[in-house]
Amino acid sequence: MLERSANSHLDHLIDLTKGGINRQIFVDPDLYKQELKTIFAKCWLFLGHESMLPKPNDFFTAYMGEDPVIVTRTGDGKIHCFLNMCRHRGNRVCRGDRGSARQFTCPFHGWSFRNDGALTSVPGYKEVYLEKLDLDQHGLVPVAQLDIYKGLIFATFDKHAPPLLEYLGDMAWYLDMAFDRREGGVEFLPGTHKWQIKCNWKFPVDNFIGDSYHGPVSHGSAWQSGFEGMPRRKSGYGYEGFQVCPGGGHGLGVRWAMNVDQIYEMALPEFLQYEKERVPETHDRLGDLRGMHMSPMHASIFPNMSLLWQAGAVRVWHPRGPTLTEAWSWCFVDKKAPPDHRKMVRVHELQRHGTTGTWEQDDVDNWVQSTHGAKGYVAQQFVQNLSMGLEDEIDNPQSIHPDIRGRLGKFQSEINQRGFYDQWLKRMKADTSPVILGSNAEI
Amino acid sequence: MNNFSPDCQSDTANSELVTWFSVQQFYAREAHLLDDLKFRKWIDLFADEAFYWMPIVSNRIGRDVGKEVGELNDLAHYEEDKLSLSNRVKRLETGMAWAETPPGKTRHMISNIVVSPGDADNQVKVVSAFLIWRSSLEVDQEIFAGKRLDTLRRDDETGWKILTRKIVIDHATLTQKSLGIFI
Repeated sequence: MLERSANSHLDHLIDLTKGGINRQIFVDPDLYKQELKTIFAKCWLFLGHESMLPKPNDFFTAYMGEDPVIVTRTGDGKIHCFLNMCRHRGNRVCRGDRGSARQFTCPFHGWSFRNDGALTSVPGYKEVYLEKLDLDQHGLVPVAQLDIYKGLIFATFDKHAPPLLEYLGDMAWYLDMAFDRREGGVEFLPGTHKWQIKCNWKFPVDNFIGDSYHGPVSHGSAWQSGFEGMPRRKSGYGYEGFQVCPGGGHGLGVRWAMNVDQIYEMALPEFLQYEKERVPETHDRLGDLRGMHMSPMHASIFPNMSLLWQAGAVRVWHPRGPTLTEAWSWCFVDKKAPPDHRKMVRVHELQRHGTTGTWEQDDVDNWVQSTHGAKGYVAQQFVQNLSMGLEDEIDNPQSIHPDIRGRLGKFQSEINQRGFYDQWLKRMKADTSPVILGSNAEI
Repeated sequence: MNNFSPDCQSDTANSELVTWFSVQQFYAREAHLLDDLKFRKWIDLFADEAFYWMPIVSNRIGRDVGKEVGELNDLAHYEEDKLSLSNRVKRLETGMAWAETPPGKTRHMISNIVVSPGDADNQVKVVSAFLIWRSSLEVDQEIFAGKRLDTLRRDDETGWKILTRKIVIDHATLTQKSLGIFI
């Protein structure tokens, strides 16, 4: 039982020594408001991939928390990100999901913004504003920082946030296993699955960061009916794998191959030929640990990005209130992959994950039910259990392999979920200062 | 063709009506199979070489208006052959498809059916509209809308077989928990 009072301190929400989480964090509107400020307005958030802006003047729209943004590539090739909000009455200036545009004109009064954010035209500028409106001060609100890692575009509204690479820490090094395994990296296929799930945004992040425990039950139906995933489950020396907790609230799960042959044994038959083409190149690029031993499966990057390596799925879980989440899902392939392999990855991905996914549909119901269960007053008096693996964290990860970075748990361990909620609590507690935007506006 | 020949005109109109009626009945029977959870029988309505595809629909502006429906080779909602469709049915039969335990209650409404000649004598092209109601568990209620573009081939046993089906769904961001329904 957890002591609870109206003014309980945030510390009481997360007990990492026992692995107990107060269920209020999944439904409380005040905590949610604070998340929008201290997490979503301050963290680096994933927007999309460079390949989604192949040509100058291409754009796509995205969200940072509940704030709509436009991501543009200007004529000079540079990538920008702005709040999708007219500085006059706050209308969205871009209603498209993606496409090509040199400027965005607000449908309300016709203020017009260039794709570098500059306010270039105001109807009645002379006649009604008497040329007194300062156009320079009314451009689209830019993010404070934007950076790209291996083609992945991230941004933050916090001017004082550490650089992206520092924020990702050792997770960036592990991400190379997905985005830098072949020359040229990856590209995202056109098309985004977008759908709304009646769950708190943290449940899917929790699921992707380290829940290797749910597979046999949640996904039993998919495995039994021709929708097996990769790496395939094998028993014996090696294979089982680890949960890797590199810090920063990020985490990933990997299966373990003692040698290259074991990688091939974990491949689905239709992917084997491509694996034989790819593995030697990946091994050359990334070395023994990242290029051979680790067969990565699932990951989350704090706060709301997730990843499935072999299926080529990247996710963002946009918060839409404490009990509603909007999932955006893409499919990526190696740039060097031939057309038949691209098709295989695409079909493999969409038949398992996303809107019609035979795996995902059952996941979605779990998250909805967990959120639903957290609403009751009595239910909130009992903590959510995240104790798996508390007693058997691997003491010296370098004894497994000298290159390993971060903490290590067994393959079925909730070490990564605890790392995520630890970071969540730190962010929620530490940060009461206003977010400083690039334009010196304060929120 | 002599436009003044009443026989010719009535013959043409009559054969079109017969075809239309046959397609309409085929769709009604198909809808009932889906709503009655008779998925194996539904699979039998597809040709062995069937292609079942639901592209993603997005919002477009300016010069990109008209490009809302995704293309082949883009990520799609459904991209299936008869085997993967029947594997999806197999999943529902395992008793472990938790999202459909208990099964959602659906009602498929198929209307606005327009039949055109196909590429072969025994084929037709059909465009139709759908509105599907789904209710799950206690109070989850969802509506799916869109259109289907089918190529059908005459079949002695089932009346028609579905050769290709392209489903254009009228949702960009789905407000439904999943697309765990067949359309």
